Amino acid sequence: MSAQAISELEAAAQIIMAPPDIVSNEQRHSAESIFLNFRKSKSPYGLCREILENSQNQYVMFEAAEVLKGAIIREWSFLLDTDRSSLRQYLVQYITSHEVPHFVRDRIIQVIAIMVKRTSIDDKGKERAVILQEVENLIINGESEKKLLGCYIITNLIQEYATTVKSADVGLPWEVHFKAKKQFEATDLKRIFQFCVYLISEVVKNDPPYDGIMAQLTRHLLQITERILTWGNVSAILPKRLIGIYESVYESDQSCALKLSSAWGEVMFNPEFLPLMFQIYWKVRDVDELAHHAMTCLVQLATLSGAVVSNVPNRVKYLHSYLVNFFKLVSNVTIKDKESLGISSIVRKIVMFYVGDFYKLPEPLIHDTLLDEVTRLTCLFCEGAVREDADPDADRFFSESLENMLEAWNSIYHDFHQITDESITSCGMRIFNKYVQCHLAQPDGIRIPDTGGGNNVDEDIEDNDRIKYKEQLQIVGLFGRCVLSHSLPVLFKILEARIASLLSHLLVMQHRAMTVNEAAVLDSIYEDIHWAVLISGHVLCMESDGETAVIPADIMRYSIEQFKNGKVDKDDSVDALVYVDARPGLPDRAEYLDHTIRVAFNVLRLCAIEDLAVSMKLGHLWSPEVSSSLMWFMKRWYRTYLLIPLDNYFNEVGYVFWSCLEKDSDCTQIQIEFIINKIAANLYNFQSEPVVLKDTVAVFSDAICTKRKVPYIIKTEAMAKLISLAENLQPGSLPSEVLRGLYKGFVSAGVYITSSSEKNKYYETILNPLRLRFKNIITQENFAKVCQDDQVQKVVIDLLECLIGIAKGSQMASVDTLFDFLSPILAELPVFLTFYKDYQVIVQLILELFGQCAKYMLCYLRPLDSKKLYESSLATVQAYAKCNGNRLSTETFAEESSCQDLSLVLDVFTCILSRDCIELFQATNQRELVRVTAADVALFGLNFIMPLMTLELLKFPNLCAQFYHLLVLINDIYPEKIANLPQDMLASLLKTIELGLTDFGNDIAHTALDFIHGMSIYVFRSKVQDTPFGSAVKAFLKLTMDLALSHQFNSDMMSNVSATIYCLICSFEDEYQMLVQTLIHLQSDPLVAERLSEAFENLIQGVCWTNQRDYRLRFRNNFEKFIANVHGFLLVK
Amino acid sequence: MADIEDTHFETGDSGASATYPMQCSALRKNGFVMLKGRPCKIVEMSTSKTGKHGHAKVHLVGIDIFSGKKYEDICPSTHNMDVPHVKREDYQLTDISDDGYLSLMSDNGDLREDLKVPDGDVGASLRTEYDAGKDILCTVLKSCGEEVVIAVKTNTALDK
Repeated sequence: MSAQAISELEAAAQIIMAPPDIVSNEQRHSAESIFLNFRKSKSPYGLCREILENSQNQYVMFEAAEVLKGAIIREWSFLLDTDRSSLRQYLVQYITSHEVPHFVRDRIIQVIAIMVKRTSIDDKGKERAVILQEVENLIINGESEKKLLGCYIITNLIQEYATTVKSADVGLPWEVHFKAKKQFEATDLKRIFQFCVYLISEVVKNDPPYDGIMAQLTRHLLQITERILTWGNVSAILPKRLIGIYESVYESDQSCALKLSSAWGEVMFNPEFLPLMFQIYWKVRDVDELAHHAMTCLVQLATLSGAVVSNVPNRVKYLHSYLVNFFKLVSNVTIKDKESLGISSIVRKIVMFYVGDFYKLPEPLIHDTLLDEVTRLTCLFCEGAVREDADPDADRFFSESLENMLEAWNSIYHDFHQITDESITSCGMRIFNKYVQCHLAQPDGIRIPDTGGGNNVDEDIEDNDRIKYKEQLQIVGLFGRCVLSHSLPVLFKILEARIASLLSHLLVMQHRAMTVNEAAVLDSIYEDIHWAVLISGHVLCMESDGETAVIPADIMRYSIEQFKNGKVDKDDSVDALVYVDARPGLPDRAEYLDHTIRVAFNVLRLCAIEDLAVSMKLGHLWSPEVSSSLMWFMKRWYRTYLLIPLDNYFNEVGYVFWSCLEKDSDCTQIQIEFIINKIAANLYNFQSEPVVLKDTVAVFSDAICTKRKVPYIIKTEAMAKLISLAENLQPGSLPSEVLRGLYKGFVSAGVYITSSSEKNKYYETILNPLRLRFKNIITQENFAKVCQDDQVQKVVIDLLECLIGIAKGSQMASVDTLFDFLSPILAELPVFLTFYKDYQVIVQLILELFGQCAKYMLCYLRPLDSKKLYESSLATVQAYAKCNGNRLSTETFAEESSCQDLSLVLDVFTCILSRDCIELFQATNQRELVRVTAADVALFGLNFIMPLMTLELLKFPNLCAQFYHLLVLINDIYPEKIANLPQDMLASLLKTIELGLTDFGNDIAHTALDFIHGMSIYVFRSKVQDTPFGSAVKAFLKLTMDLALSHQFNSDMMSNVSATIYCLICSFEDEYQMLVQTLIHLQSDPLVAERLSEAFENLIQGVCWTNQRDYRLRFRNNFEKFIANVHGFLLVK
Repeated sequence: MADIEDTHFETGDSGASATYPMQCSALRKNGFVMLKGRPCKIVEMSTSKTGKHGHAKVHLVGIDIFSGKKYEDICPSTHNMDVPHVKREDYQLTDISDDGYLSLMSDNGDLREDLKVPDGDVGASLRTEYDAGKDILCTVLKSCGEEVVIAVKTNTALDK
């Protein structure tokens, strides 16, 4: 019988492995079904043993191992103890005595590991200890091949215990997995570790290169050691979800800290242990595949924490030993690129975990070695990073290492500089100098000239330097502020020297074309300037996102000091800033300028030179990268320094900053005019440089968001000019986001004008021209004819962009003014949309405008105004639906276009809905009764676009997600609106939800479950079980249960599934009982039916159907066990 | 870029140019542009630059509005690109001739019979709907001297 079965399987395997041209599809299918049936066979142990013994077909052998695995998991509880242990012994004996292909061997070892784990749950690991003993003997005494086999078994065992949340062994609930893990951790993990350490100490007695088996064994040992050191020692108190994150973090290569109990002290504090680990690394560092594992061990050891190091003397001793060994390593080797990553990670982690203990170390170690070595390494990696930057194809090892080192410095600086300020300062100066040097061209610096001048830089994908190197720059800025008397002169000297070269270049270029060589020199000047500006910006200003920017205290102190020492002159400093626009050269008495002012003055001077270059028709030679960096600097300068308030900052009379930067000084006013003029100039001059424009608008947006400063800006002449420039630009000359940003800025600024008449006047200046422009368009007699005219379209597009900007800039204080302006225009838009129905750009802008109005204005609007907005929105969507319903297009891009449009429509409704969550409008005496709620609008609107939402369109993942989220949102806020939908609408809605459960992937299924959950809560609370709505909801009970039983939901979703099912049972208990009975009756195998019925009984143990929290939680736990159990024995197709 | 600058289409009726120039940076997604001499709808637009201190260039991907073919081009953002005049007009379908031509009536009552039934699904559905006696509106796309029916819409009682 079995011989026949085996030969049948072998024949099938041959068909499956045959090349496609030899066998037919039917043959292949029938062969596959033979194996599928084989996998489902009950008690296949005898057959599998026979296959392993007798079959020569590797595929069949592999399948046999696979079938064994499935059967063991499924039938474990039915097996007798003797059967289990004889099977396990057989398998161990089998792999030690047979030569089998590695994939068969691996699978069999996995089966053994699963069996060991299963047994250990019952016998508390007694048997496992015996097996480990056997394996250890095997590794020590066995022949070379057997040694490796032993390592495989240990590796698999560890793997089997390591993951609990996503364990391959699905037959157990998570709690049991976790308990097994903890038990293994407490008893055998340390034992294995000690065993490995012992073997490693044997390995280091030999010098590399190691021969084949030795190398393999070493690799296994290091891997096991690494695995134990990266073991997720998570506390048992954490919830499952967090533990799941820990476990997946391990897989993603970002291991968590080495946190050990005090029992590990004897291993970790053994004086020979750390030297051994460094020694093995030293020996294998030239062998890539070994070095990596050894390095990970060292990195993990740098994170030793937990109870084991709670005793301070031990802790410090460990740290001391670690550092001594570490410095011995790094001072004796030439660090290779890949290696730098490990070394820098060690520094970063040891600082992260031990910085507080540094001062407890013996003095010389800190001063002479620690700081010095860390500084040396930082500078070394900085140089390496420069080399990598010059080669676009190079891996970024040193660059990443530099980041690690600088991150470490951040902690060292903050936790440590009070203790040993002087040493830190000198380290800071070394690193600052190195960093500056690395970014300057030769001869001043060591930057490698850019040879790939023609390389394309993709601006939409690649970050620019100030984003890419932000963290680095911040820390370098910090170091710069430690040594201001050094760093500021370095910076202004670089700027001044480069500006001088730039000016002479520009003068030459006015008369003749550049040579190739000159162009390269010019590029190099730009690069130097660019970096000098970036570094200056970071030294002068600290990051201030979300808080008030203040002048760094170090800079204040330094400025006062210079003034007191009589080294600077207040008037010279003021003059330099005031006349920066008038003369491109350096003032005669430059040496009397305050150093901070002198740096800023040079950057302002660069802005003036940029305008000069454009006016000399040399704009095409100017670097847009530099323009962007200049604008970035302006933003920071304005934010931190300009218009400093009178109080609390200053107590020194006659102080230089006071005259240059104080809010009422002429000098400040001139700088503000300068900046706003510069913004206008850029908008005019750099229309073809989108990135420069973006940074320019960023300066403007930033400038008008500080309440205190806005009035000073609004009253400038430059601002009036800027507004008029924006109005009079040729339509289409600014990119969409720039135009929007500008108008957003204009209207936001108005909020801070105190006098209401002035405020109105200000808004009129901005809004009136737009109103006129709109009126001129729509009142044209022949509008229907000329609307397709390209010039008219351009005007319409620009206008809509401005309106979107205005909507985005609305705030509570301005919303009434702005909505009074917008509302008549919005009311015209449905008609407008019909005119432009074939012009997608305009259609989308109209839809977007409504979305933005709903998002930024609706929550502040008075009820009557809201109603107006609802009406216009609905009418617009209706117009859209009317134009596009029943329409078939031949355009290739039609589907994507509809997807974009509908996504905007959904945005409108989503934003409108949030109105019912947040209402901030100012209460007035108006007692209008507006009965329309946002949910009505959304549902009514959805009704318009439902016919357009085809199944094809829902296959666009974003649109699909947006659509389902909207449905859930409506359901969350207003379930009763859903319940009372007309029958046909309800039916189509529920059909959509049903599709969502199965057709669009996990995320959408999740959302659909949320929806069902929401509905079932509503049904339960309002007792509408017997309505048509109730019975529609009832249908989901069977559906969800079926899907859960047939593995259609992934394990992450189980808690949502259980919550939904629980809630449904609360309303439909009878239905549930019937469902259970049907399911049990459907089982043909009485054993399975019995287990299923038992499982269902356990499922409702201790649960009442009252929708109370504790019952709900109990059901959740039961359900998880239920699913783990049932999935084990129930084979559902 | 020469191939584009050389191709100026003249429309038969008006004598006006079929395209007009626009600065590259002012183009926008879902708008139109001439790529390799064909009127295209822009489906992708990104900017890059030559070297770190170089000037912006615009990378355009467009789809031929008539043939559906994909074209690409890259152009300094300061340069001008040709933009086609694209017009769309709706006509009432009054008849389909035996040789596959449509009889179309414009809003102002003018009749034309020079356009063919579109290929593929749209054409097939156009015929069935017409045979079923439904009221059909055809959208005609016109640019660079070419004209074609790109969409058909069945008017339902609701829409009227």
